[in-house]
Amino acid sequence: MKKIFILFLIPQFIFAELVLEITKGSDDPFVIALLSFDGKRALTDEVDVTINNDLKRTGEFKIIKDEKLLSSPSNEEDLDFNEFKLLGIDYIVMGALESEDKFNLSASYEIYNVISKKKIRTSKVFGIPNKIKQLSHYISDGIYEEITGIKGVASTKILYITEIVEEKKSLYELIVADADGANEQVLLKSYEPIISPAWSPDSKQVAYVSFETGIAKVYIQDIATGKRRVAIENTKQISSPSWSPNGNFLSMTMYQDGNAEIYILNLKNNNLTRLTNHYAIDTESSWSSDGSRIMFTSGRSGSPQLYEIKLRKYNSNPERITFEGNYNAKGSYLKNGDGIIFVHRADNDFKIALKYFNENFIRPLTESKLDESPSISPNGNVIIYAVTENGESLLSGLTLSGAKFRLPAKKGEVREPAWSGFLR
Amino acid sequence: MPSINNNKVQNFLFSFSFMILLSSCSSMNVTEERVYEGGIKTVEVSVAEVDELDYETKAIFANATVFFEFDSYNLTSKSIQTLKSVVSVMNQNKNIKITLAGHADERGTREYNLALGQRRAESVKDYFILNGINSSKVSVKSYGEERPVASGNDEMSYSKNRRVEIN
Repeated sequence: MKKIFILFLIPQFIFAELVLEITKGSDDPFVIALLSFDGKRALTDEVDVTINNDLKRTGEFKIIKDEKLLSSPSNEEDLDFNEFKLLGIDYIVMGALESEDKFNLSASYEIYNVISKKKIRTSKVFGIPNKIKQLSHYISDGIYEEITGIKGVASTKILYITEIVEEKKSLYELIVADADGANEQVLLKSYEPIISPAWSPDSKQVAYVSFETGIAKVYIQDIATGKRRVAIENTKQISSPSWSPNGNFLSMTMYQDGNAEIYILNLKNNNLTRLTNHYAIDTESSWSSDGSRIMFTSGRSGSPQLYEIKLRKYNSNPERITFEGNYNAKGSYLKNGDGIIFVHRADNDFKIALKYFNENFIRPLTESKLDESPSISPNGNVIIYAVTENGESLLSGLTLSGAKFRLPAKKGEVREPAWSGFLR
Repeated sequence: MPSINNNKVQNFLFSFSFMILLSSCSSMNVTEERVYEGGIKTVEVSVAEVDELDYETKAIFANATVFFEFDSYNLTSKSIQTLKSVVSVMNQNKNIKITLAGHADERGTREYNLALGQRRAESVKDYFILNGINSSKVSVKSYGEERPVASGNDEMSYSKNRRVEIN
């Protein structure tokens, strides 16, 4: 079990609100020599640590640092592949940080395949001096996709809600942060609850539910400008927003006749289409990646279960897709459409669970008592969710390759994480 | 392990970032890109002041809270006793308007709990209407699990939180 406390390593990281803690990694990782970046030491330390943590968090790498190597070459000519081969290393990454001028900073890096003894990638990333971590995330993603063939998510972001209990009331904040939990920025502050944050597919807007008028309403906010509006004017409660993959529709739960029913709002012309019609609760809609199906939680069988509707089929009826246990809710489709991730009650505990469509059983993925709000990374490999333990809630992550990590909170409750799309 | 589509580097183009890809040969990737850092604006919500009820009305309904079983919106016989007394007060004071706020305990998902809180409040409203109260005098809303009165993680606290408050 390895724990990395960034705070004690480098003073620049004191601004980081969340601390990364890796509890378990993959059994068959890529072995990679991550040579220290050349350049000003004060800056390169941050690059080295950030890339190391990004790759570790994926659970797919075993990282060998300079001190464990037989030599530390800084260019191709000094590279003796056999030395690395002896140590069982598959890939070598070396790079340098260059200050172009006061406002520009760039990094170049190269990746070598030890077995084929060939350079397989040479890349350059342009950034700015006070965003070295962001620049490093780009490098991490370049390394990840070169080696695994899958796009990396170190440069993506997460949304979440925090609640800080003050004397008599609570302060709620909608936060956007880098995927490692650092670089937190507040999108919305309110003394009334905020729930259910959701990204637009282009990651430029967020939808959420705010109780600021006294009842739940769905708002859409532009991240860059802060401009916000209610999704649709209505006197009744509206909740649970979810964007269609093409960004043209927002599915929501509306309470027109007092009961929770799912509607689809066309964001171009404000037309509403009713999707469900049942006296039981229907809510928590979410779209499949190809936009052809909507899954939702319904109480129509007597307990919350997941159902799906095929949108492209005429007069399609909801089909039940979970049968195990008496509580299966808040489902999301895997990116490749092979299955679903959801909240499952086992005995008295609420866990995050996975179900593949070609299997007739549920795979529980987590061990705590009150796990909530799973959200899948845009590359489909990582799930982030909220855990409540000893009355405190914080964010945890797990990868489908078997790694687990935590983003513990320092103050207040942290909950309802939502993963952005790709940003690079 | 699920199978994952191999994403082509060429697909990385995003409207607000750029990346030039030059495939010099089949075995090596050459890339150049610029870090995108969009601006972020913080919005502070000014919360509307809740209309305070006058003291007398408030006193009458101060204790009117009814409780529910887990994942249930059925009225218990104890709840019905409470509601009966509210109905008689409302029949005596024809001007009274009430708000029913439904709540849930923290277990289960937030949106399902919001809907459950609404169902609980609607159950109470249905009872009032069946007992002759005009529906225009009753408004209904839900806070789901967002406003617990007891903060513990045990059944004692949970049972206090599964409620409809009548104000």
